[in-house]
Amino acid sequence: MSAEDPNPAATPTPCEDTQGDGRWMSLHNRFVSDSKDKEPDVLFVGDSLVQLMHQFGIWRQLFSPLHALNFGVGGDATQHVLWRLSNGELDNISPKVVVLWVGTNNHGHTAEQICGGIMAIVQVIKNKLPHARTLILGVLPRGKSPNPLRERNAKVNQLVQEAISSLPHASFLNVDPGFVHSNGSISHQDMYDYLHLTPQGYQVVCEPLHAHLKSMLDKPAEN
Amino acid sequence: MSGDDLNPAAVPQPVEDVHGDGRWMSQHTRFVQECKDAEPDVLFVGDSMVQLMQQFEVWRELFSPLHALNFGIGGDTTCNVLWRLQNGELENIRPKVVVLWVGTNNYEHTAEQVAGGILATAQLLTSRLPKAKIVVLGLLPRGERPNPLREKNAAVNGYLRSWLPRLGQAQYLDVSREFVHSDGTIIQQDMFDFLHLTSTGYRAMAKPLSDLLLQILEETPEERRASLV
Repeated sequence: MSAEDPNPAATPTPCEDTQGDGRWMSLHNRFVSDSKDKEPDVLFVGDSLVQLMHQFGIWRQLFSPLHALNFGVGGDATQHVLWRLSNGELDNISPKVVVLWVGTNNHGHTAEQICGGIMAIVQVIKNKLPHARTLILGVLPRGKSPNPLRERNAKVNQLVQEAISSLPHASFLNVDPGFVHSNGSISHQDMYDYLHLTPQGYQVVCEPLHAHLKSMLDKPAEN
Repeated sequence: MSGDDLNPAAVPQPVEDVHGDGRWMSQHTRFVQECKDAEPDVLFVGDSMVQLMQQFEVWRELFSPLHALNFGIGGDTTCNVLWRLQNGELENIRPKVVVLWVGTNNYEHTAEQVAGGILATAQLLTSRLPKAKIVVLGLLPRGERPNPLREKNAAVNGYLRSWLPRLGQAQYLDVSREFVHSDGTIIQQDMFDFLHLTSTGYRAMAKPLSDLLLQILEETPEERRASLV
């Protein structure tokens, strides 16, 4: 990898308020404030796939009991999450596990760059929360039919798994239960717009995730 | 009334596949297919405010029983909705009511243009479905605190209030009442990202809408057709 070319996916970047209502910064400020008040054991961080999880019954059912906080922001790519975590969202909390789910919105970036972005986030988490473990969730396939983004996302997952294989504080979990059918299609019953999960889609993703989290929380922290 | 020919918000336009997974067209194609099979009494059309509603319990409780179809697509502007309606999403169906909720994503357009785009969409609906009633929902306020988009959306609503009565079959419904608190803030319990509604937020706005729909459906004479499955 060239050391001269900065990786845009790994360069902390806040979201510009192009629309004019400052919503991204409002959410970030809320999360910074939550970090001051709350004491989560599990912190979920990422994009709309994280954010929307919080809106459905599955969150209260499976993750509230684990004392989880949700710092998902729709539209976020790795560089946005990197900025948020570097600017207050990890201050004053000491979760045991950080669940990281991001990468699908990194449009224009290569799989290698996106992996680099994810690894940069893992490093920031390690710096700020030396006792936490990071659980990286695989980026899901998207689009109704086979398309380049599916290939990109699969490559990201492969690269991330390789990159963290030697890290004791990070692990990878594939949460795709098989959304792509034998004919190559994804159903709108699982992803209502072929990207975002329906409550049914969340159910099949979150049950194994919940089981995995519980087993992580039950084990003592590794150094 | 706004000059529709010159109004960019009233020009039908599909969404370009910039990301590479063709999701917008896939959703449109699915809706066109649904028109072949379904016989909805109520059709919801619009952006993510419409689309997300179907993911919450409120849809199954209040709108499925009315035989409602949901043709919402996240990110859509008036231009995109216009294009979809002109390209198959009104074929073979004869809903008694169409609920139209769009406009908050028209970032490039002025309030007057946006209202003109919504009006043009309502006009298209009444011309294609002469017997249907059109319910146009007002745009919701957005953002955690007062900001220019709140003013813009309120201005759009102001235009809609005065222009829609000219379309006999269309009416305006304001569902925004409870969202802005006395200190000017919108809370996350209602809009999780200060734009999209939570389950709680949907419940608040769905009730008056559902009441209105029931009223309209009751008043509409039953048209006999092949028995519904």
